[in-house]
Amino acid sequence: MKAVVVAADMITPYGQGVNACWEGLVSGATAISPVTRFITNSFTSSVAGTIGGLKYHEGESLVMQMLGLLFRRSGVPIPRDAKLILATTKGEIDFLEMSVLGKAAEVSQCSLDTLLAKVEALSGARGGGQIVSAACTSSAAAAARAAAMIRTGQSDCVLVVACDSVTEFIYAGFSALMALDKIPARPFDRSREGLNVGEAAAYALFMSPERAAQENRTAIGELAGWGLSDDANHMTGPSRESEGLILAISKALASAERGREDIGIISAHGTGTLYNDAMEMRAFHRVFSGTVKPVYSLKGGIGHTMGAAGLLEMIIALRALREKTAPPTVNLREADDDAAGWVSQRARRTAGGTCAIVTNAGFSGVNTALVVSL
Amino acid sequence: MNTQNSIGSISVVGIGWLTTEAYGCIRTGRRRTFEPGEGAHALTKKGIFAHPFKNYGRLDTLSRMTAYAVSLALQDANIEYAPGRKQDIGIIGTSSQGSLQTDREFFEDYVSSGRTLSRGSLFIYTLPSSSLGESAIHFGLRGPLLYLRGAGGGLAAVLDGAADMIATGEAPLMLAGQAEPHDAFYCVLAQDADRDHEALCDLASGRRIAAANTDIPSLIHDFSLLAPGKA
Repeated sequence: MKAVVVAADMITPYGQGVNACWEGLVSGATAISPVTRFITNSFTSSVAGTIGGLKYHEGESLVMQMLGLLFRRSGVPIPRDAKLILATTKGEIDFLEMSVLGKAAEVSQCSLDTLLAKVEALSGARGGGQIVSAACTSSAAAAARAAAMIRTGQSDCVLVVACDSVTEFIYAGFSALMALDKIPARPFDRSREGLNVGEAAAYALFMSPERAAQENRTAIGELAGWGLSDDANHMTGPSRESEGLILAISKALASAERGREDIGIISAHGTGTLYNDAMEMRAFHRVFSGTVKPVYSLKGGIGHTMGAAGLLEMIIALRALREKTAPPTVNLREADDDAAGWVSQRARRTAGGTCAIVTNAGFSGVNTALVVSL
Repeated sequence: MNTQNSIGSISVVGIGWLTTEAYGCIRTGRRRTFEPGEGAHALTKKGIFAHPFKNYGRLDTLSRMTAYAVSLALQDANIEYAPGRKQDIGIIGTSSQGSLQTDREFFEDYVSSGRTLSRGSLFIYTLPSSSLGESAIHFGLRGPLLYLRGAGGGLAAVLDGAADMIATGEAPLMLAGQAEPHDAFYCVLAQDADRDHEALCDLASGRRIAAANTDIPSLIHDFSLLAPGKA
């Protein structure tokens, strides 16, 4: 049974809505800016992809503020019997920060169970909830779980909600790993020096086609296939041979019953780190046997939104298919040798290929690949 | 891809577990009691791992408990592993508190430095999925990997997720389990059609037990009743 997307929305450093993100990316402008919500003097960078107007350590968590804005604006009815999958890496970690810093909060407030209950109440999805966390592949894995539940007949309606925020906790961690670029990240660029952390919230409502028809909802795309794998190699560094991502892409294509020739656009994880970007390009070269495909990354525009990345990128990939346009890789100046011809500073019209592939990777060696189509 | 395998034909083919008092394998009926003063940390001296566990000294508690239970589960299912050998086995795990303990350790350490020095070696364990990653590396698990927690917790949602992955062809074998600071429990799930693995029970039976029990000692007790000779 197919799993179609009937509604989707997001809030990103480009602003509220899919249109704001799409137009921001296509313009080539970056939404990475100096961090103002905590002091960055001790860190290896001072920029991130943050959303303006959010209040930090002032009561409500950053992710709940984002989700509140997202669902209040959305206006899309969420069926009460929809199952809910919440994807995040750190959830309401700001409460733990506040507790440790002696501010008015309890560590227990950052429980993911509590966040799940809040999201159920906010979204109205009361068919049963679960949390999926798989590092920076969390929301791609959650989308795959949703589609699997529909494909196996367990459910005909699943809401996937994804969120993560830029907090001192996260910033300190990535800084300690020497993973941050001092300037807006440059995925696949010869001079790239790391990633920027970013924050976002998004949702996608998946249904079976039959359920969608019953409710007169128009599908905006299909999650046709997926593949998940693990490098089983290193906790933070991606495999030098890319075999994990290659496996995930192969599984996704098989899951979608599509061939390499069906892929018209590749939305890469493209963090801007030396190793991730090299690993991905190696995988793309191997899988597509040197047939150049348009590749892009969102992360120069909005930063690495961690658990939210995969779902955002899936939604934007559907938009890219509809527009027949691969967005630019924001901040790209000169493509690294392995990416030359694959990535571009400019938006490109795409020809051929009815599907897009969305790849993500993360700590613990996780890899995901999603195949989406219109 | 069509759904190749029916969820109804999936079985539990091995279970490993440990508590503060004992450890064992359910399908093969092994149970050992810790000596007074011992505990899970003694397992490394008892040869629980087929080869040395790289970076064992830096593992947090949940990573160790997961690794012990996974090792026992693989033994129970007669699945061997070796350095450098990777297998199409995935792992889905859960825990009641996710990464809360390691989150506190990381951030308290950072704050105690005057918010000037944070440790990457602590940060990498601040994800709910980190404990699974260490097992994936040691046991060569190249299938899907994720942390999953159903509302209210427990093993049932994890079994469902793992079974889905087998049913949709994402992996032929899946580890599904739960790890806490003082006990851990991991199952191996496989297709009935897989003649290399003998079933302890079908998925439906396993799911019934998981739904009825949210604590690990109760899971151990009820699953043990299914072991050969116990029925």
